[in-house]
Amino acid sequence: MSFNSMPTKTVVVVGGGIAGWLTAGRIAAQHRTKTKAGLKVVLVESASIPVVGVGEGTWPTMRNTLIALGISETEFIRTCDASFKQGAKFAKWVDGTEQDFYYHPLVLPQGFSQGDLAAYWLNRSAKDNNSFSQDVCFQEAICEQGLAPKTIRTPEFSAIANYAYHLDAGKFTKLLQKHCTEQLGVEHIIDDVIAVNTLENEDIASVTTNNHGDISGQLFVDCSGFSSLLLGKHYQVPFKSCADVLFIDTALSVQLPYEDKNSPIASQTISTGQEAGWIWDIGLQHRRGVGYVYSSKYSSEQQARAVLAKYVGEPFNGLTVKKIPIVSGHREKFWQNNCVAVGLSAGFLEPLEASSLVLIELSAQMISEQLPATREVMDITAKRFNETFLYRWQKVIDFLKLHYILSKRCDTDFWTDNRAPHTIPDSLQELMQLWKYRSPADYDFTSNNEVFPAASYQYVLYGMGFKSDYSLSPQLLNDWRFADQQFAKNSQMVQQANKSLPTNRELLNKICQYGLSTI
Amino acid sequence: MENLVAIDNKIHKNISINPAKVALHGEKLNLIPAVVSEFMHLTVQHPIVFTKHGETGEFVCSALLGFEVGENLFWQNGQWQAVYLPLQIQRQPFFIGDAVDDDSTKSGDYVVCIDLNSPAINDSASTNIPENTSSEVHALFTETGEESEYFHEAKQCLAQLLQGKVDNQRLIGALKKLNLIQALSLEVTFINETSTRLNGLYTINQDKLAALTNEEIAELHQQQLLPAIYTMITSLGQIYPLIERKNARLNG
Repeated sequence: MSFNSMPTKTVVVVGGGIAGWLTAGRIAAQHRTKTKAGLKVVLVESASIPVVGVGEGTWPTMRNTLIALGISETEFIRTCDASFKQGAKFAKWVDGTEQDFYYHPLVLPQGFSQGDLAAYWLNRSAKDNNSFSQDVCFQEAICEQGLAPKTIRTPEFSAIANYAYHLDAGKFTKLLQKHCTEQLGVEHIIDDVIAVNTLENEDIASVTTNNHGDISGQLFVDCSGFSSLLLGKHYQVPFKSCADVLFIDTALSVQLPYEDKNSPIASQTISTGQEAGWIWDIGLQHRRGVGYVYSSKYSSEQQARAVLAKYVGEPFNGLTVKKIPIVSGHREKFWQNNCVAVGLSAGFLEPLEASSLVLIELSAQMISEQLPATREVMDITAKRFNETFLYRWQKVIDFLKLHYILSKRCDTDFWTDNRAPHTIPDSLQELMQLWKYRSPADYDFTSNNEVFPAASYQYVLYGMGFKSDYSLSPQLLNDWRFADQQFAKNSQMVQQANKSLPTNRELLNKICQYGLSTI
Repeated sequence: MENLVAIDNKIHKNISINPAKVALHGEKLNLIPAVVSEFMHLTVQHPIVFTKHGETGEFVCSALLGFEVGENLFWQNGQWQAVYLPLQIQRQPFFIGDAVDDDSTKSGDYVVCIDLNSPAINDSASTNIPENTSSEVHALFTETGEESEYFHEAKQCLAQLLQGKVDNQRLIGALKKLNLIQALSLEVTFINETSTRLNGLYTINQDKLAALTNEEIAELHQQQLLPAIYTMITSLGQIYPLIERKNARLNG
């Protein structure tokens, strides 16, 4: 049999973190692994390499991922210490003062599909100092009140306000493992991979393990984390650093218990700007995860610890601080021969917009849906996968950088250096020029593979005080009736939400007690 | 606001109930919780649907009496104008409470409580004697402190509701297990061209019911759930007379 006619019968996933299990699960669910006729999926997990598990914030896409895997939302919330996330609150990113904050909510601006409310908001006469997200989206008010995005009557995965999750990465990995092995038919081997065996065409034929011999397959998914065992070490695919654009290179993280069991659970990720980076604050059901990501060029570890200690307050002294090095960037390609990398083995960026898990989900989905039936078409799939994900990584980098270039902070070199033009990708500079005269629109993002929609750019741009100048095109502001209606509708929705939604904590307690209905 | 207290034959010896005013408790209810044992009575005039409990999100059975919150189309001219008064109204102003031990834990027993704010209560010991003293009222206790016949009947009504809770759970449990519950989406336009969308109502999925295996149907039959299932399905036809009722009121 020639290489080309080799059908894909077995997928071998190397690595047992979230990336490994999500990819294995996605493939196993779609390709009927638990049935006789289905594709075989084997996951090899090292017993000696610990799981990194920094990603604790998701996108709303995680709801579809859970549905695709066949995991109940109630079970997920109960077992993963999960809570609802309705966006991100960015504090002290613009000028660093106490009152400085804006939101990037998950609900689109009012009437987004009917007209460009941003243009009217920029030119409104009201001088009420309301922020963009406050005036065009009811979700900010929900978050500020600590309210949940739905009620106990809302079915699983349905929303009153669009939402994602915060989750305990370790517990989520365990749930995925249990579900994949017990429900989806994924074979689980705990062993260290000690060698990679290849065919003449340089495809991987098998990986050799310590105690389980050679494990062979037709497609190998590298989910081995930072070590990038197959794509990096074996194939030597170069790493493309973006440290010149995004300066963060270190994370210090702690897990912080709540003051008491009734303490409110924030309904959004809180990201607070600091002297050499920013602090994430994620509220789960039973603890908070707090971490300082900073650039070691601008801060010593001692300084960074002091910054984190100040944010956390008194409980800090009793906590274990975990230090995680961050190498910002990604591999030059992700799919080489019959090997594709997902997760940290593909790349990593600071967790500012929870891009880590969403890129895993998108990769797992594309691999599963585009799974080549034979070796003959694999190179084409690989080429398309590489194009798609190079584009996506670049877009994420652009969007993260956007948060830095709009800051007006001058208190440290970290912030001023971040605005130096040579650190800003051309693709982003070009968009910024367009937006001088109009707001971000869907036309600015025409690929099928977009990660962030135009609305996200609007929330960050105008949340950070950017002004698009409509004085040369006043004709674009010809329907104030539409705009006023949308603003009014938004206030109405804020009131309604305040009346009908429980707090995040209340709803999570109820879900643990009663569960959500599937309909 | 309700003011529920456990009934005590000394404290409440002077209380009596005016049955004519019991129905006032349903005056502003468009949904009234129902139990399986009264489905046959309800289906004569009311659609029987599932709704979700506001506190727990769990399914409950309800009779539909109106199209918006606060609208009971069977309440007319200060009177209940339906052939059957649902148990949840009949039992007013009595409630079942959990008996509590001295250390304030639930003992598992029940106590009968009364809503002291109920409009159906006459308290002859108070100075606030109702004007219409000629209407028939029933004391809770006899002069010797024994339970009256009326109170005894009221307690039977509560017992039926208690059993109904168990019956309802059996029905809902079986339907959930077989995935037979579906959302009921209704857009109704009334005679004055206004329309309303009924949200939060659920019913039985007839296609899925028809597709059940012989074994599954036999199991529903053995559990004696089929009458309740078919009664709920046919009761949905009562939506149309209910719309007529609303139109008549709009024309009124």
